[in-house]
Amino acid sequence: MLCSLLGVFVVRMNLSSLGFAMSHAAFAGAALGLMVTVLDPLWMAILFAVGTAAILGPLAEASRMKEDAIVGAIFPLMMALGLIFISLTPSAGIGSGALSLLWGSILGITMNDVIKLAVLASVMLVAIGGFYKEFLAILLDRKLAAASGINARLYTYLILFLTALTVALSLRLTGGLLIYTLMILPASAAYQLLYDVKKVLILAPLLGMFAAMGGFLLSLGADLPIGSSIALTATALFLVSMIFSPKRRRRAR
Amino acid sequence: MGSLAVELKNVSAVYEGERIPALHGIDLAVKLGELVAIVGPNGAGKTTLLEAINGLLPIRFGKVLVLGKPIGRSSHRLRQEIAYLPQDLFFNPGTPFLTRDVVLMGRFAKIGSFRLPSSADRRFAREAIAAVGISELAGRPIGRLSGGQQRKALLARVLAKEPQLLLLDEPTTNLDPEAKEEISRLILEIRSTLSLTTLVVSHESGSLLDEANRILTMVGGRFLTGSAEWNPLVQVRGIAQGI
Repeated sequence: MLCSLLGVFVVRMNLSSLGFAMSHAAFAGAALGLMVTVLDPLWMAILFAVGTAAILGPLAEASRMKEDAIVGAIFPLMMALGLIFISLTPSAGIGSGALSLLWGSILGITMNDVIKLAVLASVMLVAIGGFYKEFLAILLDRKLAAASGINARLYTYLILFLTALTVALSLRLTGGLLIYTLMILPASAAYQLLYDVKKVLILAPLLGMFAAMGGFLLSLGADLPIGSSIALTATALFLVSMIFSPKRRRRAR
Repeated sequence: MGSLAVELKNVSAVYEGERIPALHGIDLAVKLGELVAIVGPNGAGKTTLLEAINGLLPIRFGKVLVLGKPIGRSSHRLRQEIAYLPQDLFFNPGTPFLTRDVVLMGRFAKIGSFRLPSSADRRFAREAIAAVGISELAGRPIGRLSGGQQRKALLARVLAKEPQLLLLDEPTTNLDPEAKEEISRLILEIRSTLSLTTLVVSHESGSLLDEANRILTMVGGRFLTGSAEWNPLVQVRGIAQGI
């Protein structure tokens, strides 16, 4: 749900490429955490994702780098690092914790992980609630928000930071390769159906929850990897939303 | 603060990666309540000037004072007193915001963080929407309004903000002749109701230029000397003909 909530900001602010880069950085971080046993995979995932946001955000702003270039630069590097870390992990094999970082495995989550997730998720919800107005203003138009006295740069970076955190938190569920779908697709589906961002902020997490639960059940029923099942469900939701989108019908007229 | 709303002293600004200054040693003093129109050809530096006054553009030399205080990129509090309508800001049909929410946003910066808009804020926004005559459109998505209606909504946002300084960048561009005249009339009404100091960049002749206390011409990042005494209509026609 959190992933899809942040997706509302990521989709509207065209931060998809950065989100994509961050999700792979989180994967590489978690893989490093697994390889070096003294490091915690969750904290390493957070560190790598937040580090990517901290480096790429200003870089993209200062050099007006094309989004494709950002993805092109960071994606192969992080995937390569992640796969190298996994290959160097002593217990890595099919079905191990290491590979669950790639494909996702909700069953691999421990109670300790659940507590960390709950604490960090609460912090994020407080941040989103506390700066709700400011976030709405930059979602409409960043330049207009800055011109009217809102520190648009600060809140944009806050969204990037929260996105990085969410990506790292959700890594265990969907895996580094598919985490992106849970962030982008439910939010995109909600945007297809609604004209009011306040409603989008409610519908997107609900669609995200639906995709996650539907994917979980599909995975159990058809004995498929959970990450792939969630991605399939989220894609199906998006296709359905495209069919019923009033915006698409309007354009077609 | 004195009687000056805006003061620029020898201001020069250069866009990142460019050599030629967009503003070149600009001096300008605008009195409280004044309506100043700025005209000039494309690329003359008119928009840059407004962005420098709003503190959005870092300046290389000189000083910009708004309401007696220096303004820069981090002057968020001072920008709460400025309403800026950027050039060509139109929302596409899929924009997921209702008109009344866009207008209410005019009050956001003043409300402060960790607080939601009060019922008084919402009333203010409703009254602002009524004042520009689009009450029946308040619940519609902003992107589904016509260009003229979107401009009215943005002017309602200006009203809801209760600023002291109004910066308008080509507010009537890309509108049909009827909407142009209506938007100009609304701007003059809002200005007079709130006693707003106003700087308006314009390419077109019309009531905004007719009512201006001063018309300044910019070319190549500088004001043309003595432009204040020029006949605005002749001047604007001259610019349109590339003179």
